[in-house]
Formats: sequence, C-alpha cells, structure tokens
Amino acid sequence: MQRAAEDAARRSGDERLARTIHGGGTLISGLLPIGYDEESSIGQAIALQVVARYGGVSDQPDLTRYVNLVGRAVASTCDRPDIPYRFAVLNHDSINAFAAPAGYIFVTRGLMAQIRNEAELAAVLGHEIAHVSQKHILQVIQRSKRLAGVTEAGLAYANQNPEAFKGLIDAAVKKLLDEGLDQEKEIEADALGDVFAARVGYDPTAYVGLLNRLKALKGDDRAFFKTHPNFSTRIAAVQKVMQSEGLKPNGTLLGDRFARLSRGS
Amino acid sequence: MKRGKRQRLSIMVLVIALGLLSGIALAETVFVQGKTAKLRAGKTSLDRVVADLKFGEALEVLKKEDNWLEVRTAAGVKGWIFANKTTTTKPSGGDDALAKLGKSFRRTEASDVTASAGARGLDKASETYANKAGITQQHRDAVDRMTAYQIGDQDVEDFLKEGGLGEYAK
Repeated sequence: MQRAAEDAARRSGDERLARTIHGGGTLISGLLPIGYDEESSIGQAIALQVVARYGGVSDQPDLTRYVNLVGRAVASTCDRPDIPYRFAVLNHDSINAFAAPAGYIFVTRGLMAQIRNEAELAAVLGHEIAHVSQKHILQVIQRSKRLAGVTEAGLAYANQNPEAFKGLIDAAVKKLLDEGLDQEKEIEADALGDVFAARVGYDPTAYVGLLNRLKALKGDDRAFFKTHPNFSTRIAAVQKVMQSEGLKPNGTLLGDRFARLSRGS
Repeated sequence: MKRGKRQRLSIMVLVIALGLLSGIALAETVFVQGKTAKLRAGKTSLDRVVADLKFGEALEVLKKEDNWLEVRTAAGVKGWIFANKTTTTKPSGGDDALAKLGKSFRRTEASDVTASAGARGLDKASETYANKAGITQQHRDAVDRMTAYQIGDQDVEDFLKEGGLGEYAK
C-alpha cells in the first residue's frame, strides 16, 4: 500500500511527496514490533555467529539433553513460555553464557566447569531465558533498524535485501559478544532468572554462591566480564530481588544429579 | 412496629450488601503462568488431575494453603494448582503469532521424540546470512540440530518429579 502510494506520487512527477511517503513508512515500520518469524531468522543468524566464534557445540547427547531439561523446566515458568527454547554447551573454555532471540541459549564448557549444582545451572539458564523473554536483544535490533531506515520487516526483507540483513545481524552480534547489553538489562536478567529458577523449586541463594565464587576467581573488575556489570553489583541485585519477592533459601540444589548428568560422575 | 420491621429489613439488606462487597473484594484472580499446568483434586502432586490448564487461563482463587491454591476455572471446575505455576498479572508473552506458534509447538512436543538430529531447522534468511558471513557447514549443522532439538512435555514433567521440583517438592 505504502509502496503503491509512493510509486503513484513518483509517476505523477512529485518526487518530494514520494520521498515523504517513503520516510513515513520507514518511521512506522521501525516502530512496529518484530514478529516471531523475523525474530526466528534473527535468532538463527546470531546463533550461527555464537557457535562459529565459540568453537562449535558439544556433541555429547546426554549433556545436551540434561541442559535442555533444566532449561525447559526453568523456561516453563518464565513470562514467555510459549516459544521453543533450545540449549547447547559451547566447546569453549571461557566462562560465559549467551542468548539469541527466539530462544537460542548457550553456556560455555568453561562456565559448566565452575557450576557445582543444578540450582546454579538453572539460575544461569534463567538469566539467559530472561534476555529472550524480555526481548533485550530484539530491542537492540529494533534501534538498529530505525537508525538504518529499514522499511520492510520479516523474512521478505531478509531475503530481498540480504546485505542489509547481514548489517543488522553483525551489529547485534557486536553488541552481544563484544560490547555487552546495557547494564540494567543484565541486572534485570539476573533478578528475573533467579526468580524463574526459584519458581521451579531451586534454591535462589545458589546463584549468589556461583557469582561469589566467580568474583573470588576473577576479581571484581569488569575487564573479566566486560559484557556484564561487576559481580558485586550483580550479587546485590539478586539479594535485593530475593528480599522483595520473598524467595526463601530452602529450595533444592541437586548437586549429585548435576555431577551425574553433566559430568558422568 | 411497622417502623421496626422496616429497620430490620434495612439492616438485613445492608448486611447482605456488605457481604457481597466483601466477597467481591476477596475474590482474587490469578493466571496460569506455566507452559503446562495441572488442576488436581487435592493439594499434592499425587492427587488426581481434574483438568489440564492453558497458559494465561484465568482462575478464581478460593483458598490458599502452603504452596497450593484452590481455584475455580471459568468453566466452573474446582481444584488445586501449585502456586508457582500462577501469576497475579496476565502473562505478557504471546501475541497472536506466538500463540499460534505455541499451539503448533505443543503439538510437536506431544510426541515422544526427544531429538531429531539432521532435521532441517535453518530458514532461508539465515542460510543466506551463513553464506554471506562464511559460516562453515559444521557450524550450520550445529544450529540446525539445535533448532530441531525437541524434548516432550512429559519428559520435563518426569525430570521435575525425579528431582522433587515444582509441585513434586517434598
């Protein structure tokens, strides 16, 4: 419709009107929410980059199944449980975890090695699930789309203009893997992730334990987790939400099951 | 005498009105938060399932005990639900497209398939992106398998049960 009006204006010789219609469409579509089909394409493309940059994913079926079972249990209690969440372990020794839109969630082998029980894993996956349920990365993309003046949305856009689609994805990957999301989004993901895990029945203090160990291991400098706020800020945020939500330290840890199913011990 | 009768009637009307108002004030609505939730005849995970509830379904709270709520569905079915599977605000997730996807996803999950390695998962846009970005076939296959990976709802339920999690907490 917009394109027809734009073409009609151009045919009538009114180039200025055509440009105005085009600009209006750009503004409106930039403000429209990203639909699930488009989110899925974006999520897959970002997931490809995460896998490529972090050494591929583990091919251990028992480990993959275990991480998916914990993740699915946590995701079923989040604010957006009606999309498919998938989880994988990255073959990388760095300590990190990532989420891409449409429910693609990764945890590195290095972070798995630091985790001591299922409750800690549940909170880590909960943090990443919160990034997806709150559409944190999509908000970054939405901003990029507006700045780039992208008019079309969805798969049609990606297929018709693959170069521009690549530009959007590369910018999002840079933000996600190199620069990091806004600090308040990370804090929100910490708090929500712990709430999601506690809803399943995991001990909410487990996450504080993990963050404290990582702080002792790596220090409180943002140079280690340059994509995240420092550990002290994150621990304080989790403790605050535990208090405000009345989360009691009486949940389940499941250390034995974690050792058996994640390490085969 | 006549006046006394009228007074008593007025008081009765007032008492009934107050009762109704307090009933309205006490009536609390919660919404199903979990992707799947069961309404049970009693407040333990061993009690008989009286209804399978849908994500976002509104429930009227009748009673709260421990971590369980006694509720009534819009269809009038009474039963108990694990409180952590509910929320007091209507869940935001799921516009029309997501709701449709959720339905089709649940249909797929209903099968006992736990993994389907090799099934195609990447769409045309991400395939094109992979070509332009020089992503190797090995890494494409990894995301492909991840996209196609499935675990049934029953498997998740059994996992919760084995771990004493959710409504299976001891």
